[in-house]
Amino acid sequence: MTQQSNESTRRGFLDVFIGICSAITAAAVTIPGLMYLWPAAKGGAGGEVEVKGAKNLAKGESEILQVKGKAVLVVRTSSGFDAYSAICPHLGCLVKWEGVRKEFLCPCHAAVFDSKGRVVSGPAPGPLSPYKVKEVGDKVFVSAV
Amino acid sequence: MNAPGWLQRFLNERYNMEVANTFIDKQMHKRLPPHTGWLHIFGSLSLLLFISQTITGILLLIYYRPTPDEAHASIQYITGEAHFGWLYRQVHAWGASLMILGLTLHMIRTYFMGSYKKPRELTWMTGVMIFVVTITFGFTGYLLPWNQIAFWATTVGTESAAKVPYIGGWLQYCLRGGDAVTGETLSRFFVVHVIILPWVLTGLIAVHLFLMRATNLATMERVGEEKKTPEECGIPFFPVHVAKEGVVAVLLIAVLVTLSVLSPWEIGEPANPLSTPPHIKPEWYFLPSYQLLKYFQGPYGAFMGIIACSVPFALLFFWPMLDRGKERHPRKRPLAVGFGLIGLISALALGYLGHVSGLEKSYFGARYHFSEKGWPTRIADDAPPSDSGGH
Ligand code: HEM
Ligand code: FES
Repeated sequence: MTQQSNESTRRGFLDVFIGICSAITAAAVTIPGLMYLWPAAKGGAGGEVEVKGAKNLAKGESEILQVKGKAVLVVRTSSGFDAYSAICPHLGCLVKWEGVRKEFLCPCHAAVFDSKGRVVSGPAPGPLSPYKVKEVGDKVFVSAV
Repeated sequence: MNAPGWLQRFLNERYNMEVANTFIDKQMHKRLPPHTGWLHIFGSLSLLLFISQTITGILLLIYYRPTPDEAHASIQYITGEAHFGWLYRQVHAWGASLMILGLTLHMIRTYFMGSYKKPRELTWMTGVMIFVVTITFGFTGYLLPWNQIAFWATTVGTESAAKVPYIGGWLQYCLRGGDAVTGETLSRFFVVHVIILPWVLTGLIAVHLFLMRATNLATMERVGEEKKTPEECGIPFFPVHVAKEGVVAVLLIAVLVTLSVLSPWEIGEPANPLSTPPHIKPEWYFLPSYQLLKYFQGPYGAFMGIIACSVPFALLFFWPMLDRGKERHPRKRPLAVGFGLIGLISALALGYLGHVSGLEKSYFGARYHFSEKGWPTRIADDAPPSDSGGH
């Protein structure tokens, strides 16, 4: 091997080596920063949430509460209680229970759901998701399914 | 425009002021093309508004508190008790809308005069970036008062982000700092609005102005066939064009103060995450996208809607690459002008439909109810007004 080509392979190697080291340094500096931006899980009030006003709800009335930070509507039916996510699957507004029409209505773009959360009309791409209801004595609890 | 004598002596003894002096002199007395007139002030208008937003924004920061518990009350303190606080809040809120309007007019001017063509393609592209950043300023700033309308407009806005293909869910989680709009969202929007975007925009404007100066303003001649106008035919930047800008600055202050006094922005109810108020609508500059999204339904609707809303911006950004014709004069570019007019009229029409959708309006004595998609139905004259009545 001549002096010259020896020189140029050493240079080529150095270029690659410096390139790799710079890339690793850049990654080591940016990746923790990106991870920092990703929200770390925070425990909200979760598990089973008591429906405080359950006793005072007349048939066809509803109460709104939060389960793990998400709004849930509890409806008193003729046979007990039903609970559905209040978050409209269209664009996230909160639906209201209309006791007389027995329908959930969204105030934002007029999506309508029946008493089982199924889409009746409007732009919602899917139904309201149900929540689990448990009655213990005269207390009522709601939790995610 | 000369520095006082003692300052000049002080600097001359220490630095080689030749270079700086020639540079400043050249920039100040630069000759602009002979046709430079009042249509060319929308760029400066936007710049003046950015300066105004920066000053009023810093003043608001002194009393504003970016937490769900304090944000709304701190705005009430600013408008109710801090001396002249009402004025700074109003000028900042109105300034945001006027800045977007100013940029839009500036873009319309440069589009129809063909100024984006070679060699000014990058000037145009940095301009489109400035426009998008300014809109993002509006979106993040809107949430800061933490009132009902802002909270729910942001909920709906970030929910649309979730429909972006593949990365939507991830994007929404990062934007909101969690599953829902909460204090985490407020912190994030605050940081973006008062730290990140101001510096990004400052950098972009610096590049934009540098490029604008490097190529000088465009004439109406064909690309590559511009004749060198003799020095004495050009319009001197100082004092002629600067005088026009002075007039614009004074008028702008008058307009900002008048709007602030005669048509102040309300603070509204504090945000309530358990109740959505009726008629959530975004700011006027989002209305065209807001309305366009509504026409895309069904399983792939949201996906197609996002695409439909991004295409106009992509077209705008890459326009100098797509339109390579040599003509600049609007009368010689029927296609580009037609295309531009169609875009403009569609945006106005969609914006108007977005504005009336879901409301009741009266036209020529007859009442109409507009559906979410904006189709009107006549309401009988004796029907009682519904709760959705607008004005
Ligand atoms: C804060 C935002 C902006 C500021 C401060 C600004 C400022 C300016 C100024 C002072 C000029 C020279 C005077 C004039 O032609 O009006 C200019 C030129 C120009 N701007 Fe902007 N501008 C902004 C945003 C934009 C946007 C959004 C676009 C387009 C998408 C754009 C495209 C252009 C082009 C193509 C020129 C060259 C015009 C020519 O040579 O005739 N600018 N800008
Ligand atoms: S958010 Fe409920 S219909 Fe759009």
